[in-house]
Amino acid sequence: MSETTKVGIIACSGEEIAAGTISRLATRRVLELLRPQTTVTLCLPLFLAGEEQERRFARQHPTITVDGCEKLCAKRGTEQYSGQVAASLVVSDILGDRVATCHRSARDFDRSDEEAVWLLAERIAVEVDTLSAAHSTTDADADRTASACGCACGGQPAQGNLRLDGKTVTVNGLPLIFDQLFRMGVVPDDNQADRLLNAVRVYHAIEAHEDDWYRNAVAQAYTSYYRGRTQPDVPADALLGN
Amino acid sequence: MIDVRPDVTEEFLMASNGPTDQVLVIPCSGIGKVHGLISREAVYRVTDALMPGHADTVCLALLVTGDAETREKVRHHPCITVDGCPKLCARKNVEMTGGEVALGVRVYDTLKRHRGAQFGSPTSLSDQGWQAVEEIAEEITQTVHQVVLK
Repeated sequence: MSETTKVGIIACSGEEIAAGTISRLATRRVLELLRPQTTVTLCLPLFLAGEEQERRFARQHPTITVDGCEKLCAKRGTEQYSGQVAASLVVSDILGDRVATCHRSARDFDRSDEEAVWLLAERIAVEVDTLSAAHSTTDADADRTASACGCACGGQPAQGNLRLDGKTVTVNGLPLIFDQLFRMGVVPDDNQADRLLNAVRVYHAIEAHEDDWYRNAVAQAYTSYYRGRTQPDVPADALLGN
Repeated sequence: MIDVRPDVTEEFLMASNGPTDQVLVIPCSGIGKVHGLISREAVYRVTDALMPGHADTVCLALLVTGDAETREKVRHHPCITVDGCPKLCARKNVEMTGGEVALGVRVYDTLKRHRGAQFGSPTSLSDQGWQAVEEIAEEITQTVHQVVLK
């Protein structure tokens, strides 16, 4: 993907509702962790309070809006002040009844909020990939192997390494993927191999002919990770190749 | 740093023909820095814990898109805006709607008083970040008291 065609993500500002908080956190997760090389964002109210530079946003970037509720403020605001959106997601449609158990303040966050953020972030990432493919102008491998975080946080995305047929492959977000699976109670056994593979596939491009290699490598890495979490004397990070 | 307009409360009460029992506290929507998160958490602290029933919030985006119900609410209640950055999105949007800003909190000025502190990230706050939330929430609460309990 070209530097000039990064995908824009506009989160619902929704301060009044929990879905707004989930929308913002999921957007940050995509920006910082899942697709740091290919995404940018802007605060929605800046369209009104800002200047021409802000208002050009959706004209410069294929833009995904992530609305908290059916009022679709992000979509309507973006189209009113900036330009047509490329995709419109609605938190309540994606998460359904799960939203009812979420909280708007981080002070009250629990497991249901974490899971909601992950599910929504995964959905946004899929949408980013679809738009990226449509706008792709350069080798996608450059994005897969780059390590610097492209967002404003100035940090590095969490990464983990897999040993794959004698090669070391870096996967963005692997520690967080494993952490989420661990929190969901996933135990490393043969029945879970496909589930693990599919979880990693959301964040890391895997060709069809690589499935077996990745399935084994991910299962092995998760087994080590799981052991590290359940046996405190084994450092989990070390088992991710970091 | 707080931008106080003590005259606004009087103006509002006169214009609205009577006292008000609720203040709208409207935070910034910023997701690029920690400032936005601090502004929202300070607002939730006030609306949910310190002044429930006397302070409420609305989605800033609803003002941006011109939602009729939200605009009416903003025009008929004194507002406190809590902005994360100098673009002052919350304040500008309330004023453009015709609302009265009784107090404009600027988070970035408050944080300057804690030089060297690490407040967290756009998605999570450190202990110092939560302390800043409490500080701002206290300042907001004082104004809510002045407006609704006078």
